[in-house]
Amino acid sequence: MSDPGVRDEDLVRRYLSGDRTAFAALVERHERRVYNIALRMTGREEDARDVAQDAFLTVLRKLSSFRGEAAFTTWLHRVTVNACYDLLRKRQRAPLLERGGEDDRPVAEPPPVPDHSDMTALSIDVQRALLAVPDDFRVVMILHDVRDLPQEEVAAVLGIPVGTVKSRLHRGRIALARALGVPRSGERPDPTTPSEGTMTP
Amino acid sequence: MTHPEDLLADYVDGTLDERQRAVVDAHLVGCSSCGEEVAMARRALSALASLEDEPVPFGVTGPVLAEAGRRLEGRRTVLWERLQWAFGAAAAAALVLVVALNLGGGADPDQDAAREETTAVEAEAGAAATGAGGESSLAFAFQGLERQEGVEYDDAGIVALARDAVPTVTGQAPEAADQGTLAPADDALACIERSGAPTVGDPRDTLLRLIEAEYAGTPAYIAVYAEGPGAGQPADRVVVWAVAVEDCRILTTASLRI
Repeated sequence: MSDPGVRDEDLVRRYLSGDRTAFAALVERHERRVYNIALRMTGREEDARDVAQDAFLTVLRKLSSFRGEAAFTTWLHRVTVNACYDLLRKRQRAPLLERGGEDDRPVAEPPPVPDHSDMTALSIDVQRALLAVPDDFRVVMILHDVRDLPQEEVAAVLGIPVGTVKSRLHRGRIALARALGVPRSGERPDPTTPSEGTMTP
Repeated sequence: MTHPEDLLADYVDGTLDERQRAVVDAHLVGCSSCGEEVAMARRALSALASLEDEPVPFGVTGPVLAEAGRRLEGRRTVLWERLQWAFGAAAAAALVLVVALNLGGGADPDQDAAREETTAVEAEAGAAATGAGGESSLAFAFQGLERQEGVEYDDAGIVALARDAVPTVTGQAPEAADQGTLAPADDALACIERSGAPTVGDPRDTLLRLIEAEYAGTPAYIAVYAEGPGAGQPADRVVVWAVAVEDCRILTTASLRI
């Protein structure tokens, strides 16, 4: 439906000039990326649907102010991550009864992923464990390790130094391994403690 | 002991240069805790690789596209109103000028005849333009508008329409489906086209069904398309668009890969 040879920025210009199909092409091109980031960040299909809609509506509202200083995809990732954080904050504020459980840790929120017949037990475990990783570390892993964004782009999306991306990446991976129950021995104390990636004495 | 924490992520990714990699390798020989962390990070990466992309559920982007259409429509309305205002102001100024000229000189019969001729030519040109634009450029293979009075679709119903169309696209339908009494489809086609549904006018899309019913309580035209990748390849997707009868805004859309 959308021509892969057409740049995102050109589609933005075309929509702003009155071409309705250009926005549909943008949505079609990026909906999978946006939805899956949201799904991995929130762990629930219904939340991922809300986040994806919010993200695209935000893009739509702010499209006229998009000046192209950053690549459209960088901006879209930033909007998506912000929508994820908004939802996670709302979830934190929601009364316990609405969340259907007495435990407010993200990992305890069911169901973690849609129950597709082809979903392996392993990926369900991984998704569940991913939700136990602190949000700031999880988002870096999702963008870099799952979505294959370069560290520099992750830094641009999140507005943090590349060194911080490296640090959060490493600490997030270790937190994920722990949540998966990987056997460990001789580890240093809690590596999820924030660090700027400097040499540690 | 100093641990090279800032290098470990890149070490696991395999993106360190030779010198840095040698530094980490040397450190790992004597540091079991860093060695353990590297092993854990590798296991985590391997686990993350099991996470595959999930398809986007139906109905997620429909409201967004509908809003995009409404925003453009709103902008056009504002522009049109401004244009009308400007045109009105210009017409008023012209009227003042004509009155002033008439007051100064009186009517000229030759000029009146010339004005009438001009008007006739403009009318013919207008008729020609209407004729050219009156025919829809849609390529379709459907039988006509299906009026389904009292039938209301929700998202699941829209998805069911897409699913029902699959046998038609794959050639596995035993016979053409009975679409009941069919009505002229011109208004519905024009509305779908006006909605900006990206399928309209795209040679890769073939209209299969056009239905007038309700979607979530709103009178709607629902178009079911077979969509192909182009280059003469067979259709590999069914796409459904629901647009409001009243203002042709997009209400929802669904897409089903065959």
